[in-house]
Amino acid sequence: MASSEAAASAMEIEKAAASAPAAVLRPQFEALKPHDMSDGKVQFRKVGVPTHRYAPLKRCWMEIYTPIYEQMKIDIRMNLKARKVELKTRADTPDVSNLQKCADFVHAFMLGFDVADALALLRLDDLYVDSFEIKDVKTLRGEHLSRAIGRLSGKGGKTKFAIENSTRTRIVIADTKIHILGSFLNIKVARDSLCSLILGSPAGKVYSKLRAVTARLAEKY
Amino acid sequence: MAATPVTTAAPTQEEAARQGEEALERLRSTDAPLYLSPSPELAKDARTASRYLFSSLVPFCSKPPLDSLLADDGFDVEQIWCQIDLLSRPLLSVLRRELNRLERDPPARVPGSALDVGVAGEAAEAEKERAMEDGEGDEEDGDESEGDEEEEEDEEEAEEDEDEGDEEEKEDEEGEAKGNPIEDKFLKIDEFEEFLTKEEEEYGLLERKWNKHKQKVSDKEDEDDDEEEDADDDEEEDDLHLGDFDGDGDEETGIAENARYEDFFGGIKKKGLNKNGIVGKRKRSSNAIDFVDGLESTDMDIEENDDKGQKILSTHEKELKKLHSKIEQMEKANLEPKSWTMQGEVTAAKRPKNSALEVDLDFEHNVRPAPVITEEVTASLEDIIRKRIIEGHFDDVQRAPTLPSKAPKERKELDENKSKKSLAEIYEEEYAQKSGLAPALLTVSDTLKNEASLLFKKLCSKLDALSHFHFAPKPVIEDMSIQVNVPALAMEEIAPVAVSDAAMLAPEEIFQGKGDIKEEAELTKAERKRRRANKKRKFKAEMAKRTPKKAGQNVTPGSTIEKPPGS
Repeated sequence: MASSEAAASAMEIEKAAASAPAAVLRPQFEALKPHDMSDGKVQFRKVGVPTHRYAPLKRCWMEIYTPIYEQMKIDIRMNLKARKVELKTRADTPDVSNLQKCADFVHAFMLGFDVADALALLRLDDLYVDSFEIKDVKTLRGEHLSRAIGRLSGKGGKTKFAIENSTRTRIVIADTKIHILGSFLNIKVARDSLCSLILGSPAGKVYSKLRAVTARLAEKY
Repeated sequence: MAATPVTTAAPTQEEAARQGEEALERLRSTDAPLYLSPSPELAKDARTASRYLFSSLVPFCSKPPLDSLLADDGFDVEQIWCQIDLLSRPLLSVLRRELNRLERDPPARVPGSALDVGVAGEAAEAEKERAMEDGEGDEEDGDESEGDEEEEEDEEEAEEDEDEGDEEEKEDEEGEAKGNPIEDKFLKIDEFEEFLTKEEEEYGLLERKWNKHKQKVSDKEDEDDDEEEDADDDEEEDDLHLGDFDGDGDEETGIAENARYEDFFGGIKKKGLNKNGIVGKRKRSSNAIDFVDGLESTDMDIEENDDKGQKILSTHEKELKKLHSKIEQMEKANLEPKSWTMQGEVTAAKRPKNSALEVDLDFEHNVRPAPVITEEVTASLEDIIRKRIIEGHFDDVQRAPTLPSKAPKERKELDENKSKKSLAEIYEEEYAQKSGLAPALLTVSDTLKNEASLLFKKLCSKLDALSHFHFAPKPVIEDMSIQVNVPALAMEEIAPVAVSDAAMLAPEEIFQGKGDIKEEAELTKAERKRRRANKKRKFKAEMAKRTPKKAGQNVTPGSTIEKPPGS
């Protein structure tokens, strides 16, 4: 196809060159579809499903399926035997990055985020998911670890919510793993707060710092 | 008493004598206590008696100053006594001479005959004086009359002593010459009586006189002891009559302390006088005599001891000894280490245990003593409290109100609850606001502002109603006006209420200059050079401008004196 096209274009150029005195007409091409770009091949993504997210997946399947299939124009199916969610591009997928976005969206859900929160990933392309472990920050064992996790969450999760609300991020604390969803700067602020909490600073101190930072951030916008 | 001088002068001598004797008798017969209270009769009698005695003594005087004693009412004690003294002094010397003569060659005669040989008047006087002695004992100070009596009695005593001295001497001599014990005793008894009465006055004098008479006694040691003693007695007594009657206590006590057994009960020498059986008075007389002898012997002992100089010391020496011992004591104390109370800083280790408790320490208390809480104190405090509560006047500390310098900062409260909106919704809303699809949400400050503006509008409408809506707001004309740097208050009011130095122009408007002003001290070298260069340039430019003007304009004809050529 390319060669023929090239030949055609060459011919056209020649034609143009031949008919030099005639007006030069620029060729009008339509944008290439991702399907075309990949030479008609279909691209796949496969997202593994952890056991603890299996039941929630089943519950929220339609909420996941609808935006992916309808708006992103990506095929999605659940491979029960392999326990994976499979995504496939269609012929009329508008954008190349849709597939990746959907994969990230499903992956975010698998990490533990809510569907509504993960949906922001589909809508905005500058949102990321950052994951780190407690042991990355500080080696804690036994009681200390448990206390650190407790410090991160706060009483009834209030510290976590405070960070989420002030930095416009979503945080998932899965035992020793921490996942943060949000824009790059917000992730940074949230991560700093969480790290300080892990390292042992009290919640009040973290709050005051958060306030200062978020005020500064809000002023920017 | 005015009548008496007339009566005494006019009648004869016998009459006067009789009256005088009667007066004496009366004086003698009155009881002793009656002398204590003033009585004019006694005074009158005393005057009469003294006048009589005086006149009876006058014949014996070679050159009497007065014929009779002037003892009227007008004359006081001193005057009467002076008269008596004037008369008696030469008489005394005469008597003394007589006595010495008698001593030298004692006439061996009976006392009565001796008296007869002696002066007739003296005998009468002596009798009367002896009779008077009974009343002497209770003499006391007080009245004029009594004073008179004293003088009179002193005079009498003096005379009596002289008589007694004569008598004693004669009696002793006679007794010894005869060797008659009875005679001696008899005489001694009389002597004893007189001696006892005189003892109070003379006792003190004895001691004093003994030191004077040491020499005399030592001279007479070789002679008979009795004679010596008696003679000493006589002499002492004689001298005592003549001298004062003041006693010397120290000598008395000294002698009393040093009296010994031998002095009282006699050694071998004195036993001769005391051998006869003596009863009552005689014993006493012997004791008295012994005492007298004892005193004499102590005197002798004193003399003997003084020669040795060991046992008995005189008072002065005793004082000196005491003083020396005191001095020694003090010196010893000074050499020893001082007691801990006298030392400077003393720690507990340096002083004996619990010694600070015994000593009364005095130190300053720098702490105010704790107030004693009494009923009244508590009652007063409670009254104050009650009053304060009723008034509601508590001394609460009130925070000073901070002036709102700027608008309160908008603080975003951290929401600690799970956000109702999901992240997607949040971004959706944000996008909608940005793109303008959705209206902007009102923040807290916006709501406050809205509320404030609403309130102000209401207020303004009310105020406008006050002025019947006839307000005409001034049109805002933006024009340029020159702001003068005048204090703001001057612009506003004619009469300034308070002085204000607030100027119309701001400091930066007043400031005429460029950029950062630096002081001379702050400049760097380069900057200094630059300044100087600028200054020079300016100056040069000015000079250049000025000089052509000067050259052209300022020259007037005749102003410059030109030198004439060729000179």
